[in-house]
Amino acid sequence: MGKEKQKSQLEEVFVKFKPIVTFRVKKSLGAYNPDCDDVANEIITNVIEKIKKGEFRGESSVGTFIYTITSRRIIDYIRQKSKVLKHVPEPASYPDPQEQIEDKERAEMIATAIKKLKPKYREVLYLYYYKELTREEVALKLGISPRRVSERVNYSQKLLKKLIKT
Amino acid sequence: MRNCKFEEMIDKYLLNRLSEDEKSIFEEHYFNCPSCFEKMVERDELVAAIKYKGQEIFKDEYVAEAAKGETWWEKVTSFLTPRQWTTVAISAALIAVIVFGVLPMLTPTSPQFYINEDAVRGSKITLISPVWESETVPSKFEWKKMGEDVDYKIYIYDNGNVVWDDTTKDNFIIIPEDIKKTFASGEKYSWQVKAFSPEGSLISVSSKVQFKIHNPE
Repeated sequence: MGKEKQKSQLEEVFVKFKPIVTFRVKKSLGAYNPDCDDVANEIITNVIEKIKKGEFRGESSVGTFIYTITSRRIIDYIRQKSKVLKHVPEPASYPDPQEQIEDKERAEMIATAIKKLKPKYREVLYLYYYKELTREEVALKLGISPRRVSERVNYSQKLLKKLIKT
Repeated sequence: MRNCKFEEMIDKYLLNRLSEDEKSIFEEHYFNCPSCFEKMVERDELVAAIKYKGQEIFKDEYVAEAAKGETWWEKVTSFLTPRQWTTVAISAALIAVIVFGVLPMLTPTSPQFYINEDAVRGSKITLISPVWESETVPSKFEWKKMGEDVDYKIYIYDNGNVVWDDTTKDNFIIIPEDIKKTFASGEKYSWQVKAFSPEGSLISVSSKVQFKIHNPE
């Protein structure tokens, strides 16, 4: 493997995969688990080392290669923790982002934008994400097709994006 | 932009609705699909904001929902759609019209059970004589015939107690002389006939009819 190619791969790991790895770790360990950043950094370092050692031979995509390392590390973490805590951490829920200022501001912005949406979009978001009804349950409740529910959710997202930008 | 077929898994993943296998498949996928990852991050922000600020954002919906949960009437009415309720109302009106408007116009007939060609269960035995006052002690008691092959049982009462009874297939009976002698003048007696089918089941009962004797022999 050429030095140039390896260098670009390492850059890619940092720029492109760091957020993905972090997301995956947070999702598994819980967003406010203080270990998240450490675990994510460890994974990235591990990936870089492996690439440097030439362990990535292009048999799978870089994505799958990093995914495998990430999953293994998460399983190890949970195993270690469960030895101490005697139970496996719950899958990540959506806790109060109070402590993280950036997240909080972002949430405020989105909340303000949602309030500006028409009731027909708001009610879908309310039932689907806040009440956590399934797509089919929302459809039944509103007398529309499940496909329509998804369409409304997606369209709401588009509208929100516009509202936040302006 | 063409949609990735994995996109529909984004919400399920964020809301923890995927099976373990589906989860792994989707996780591997978003490590390889920048489009899905980008959409998922956006969606994640939206869901997080809703979870965090939901009560404030959906104040109206929240109140509406809470009110709905409280009134039983809402619960009952929401059981059917307005269209279904219309159908229910129309059906109820139709039934009311049939029950109160049409049915009374048809002459009501009581159920009839045929024992044989002539005897009809439920029809009354009409007593012919004696029906009220009698100069002499009546020797013949007569009633309307109910049909062929009917057994009649006649009872004569004095103050509710049976003083004499007998059976016959005719629609009349002659009472024996020695019984006649026991009737007292000025006393009130009553008589009654019951009709039985050949199998012995009761078909009909006449009403009790009083008679009075003025001059016993």
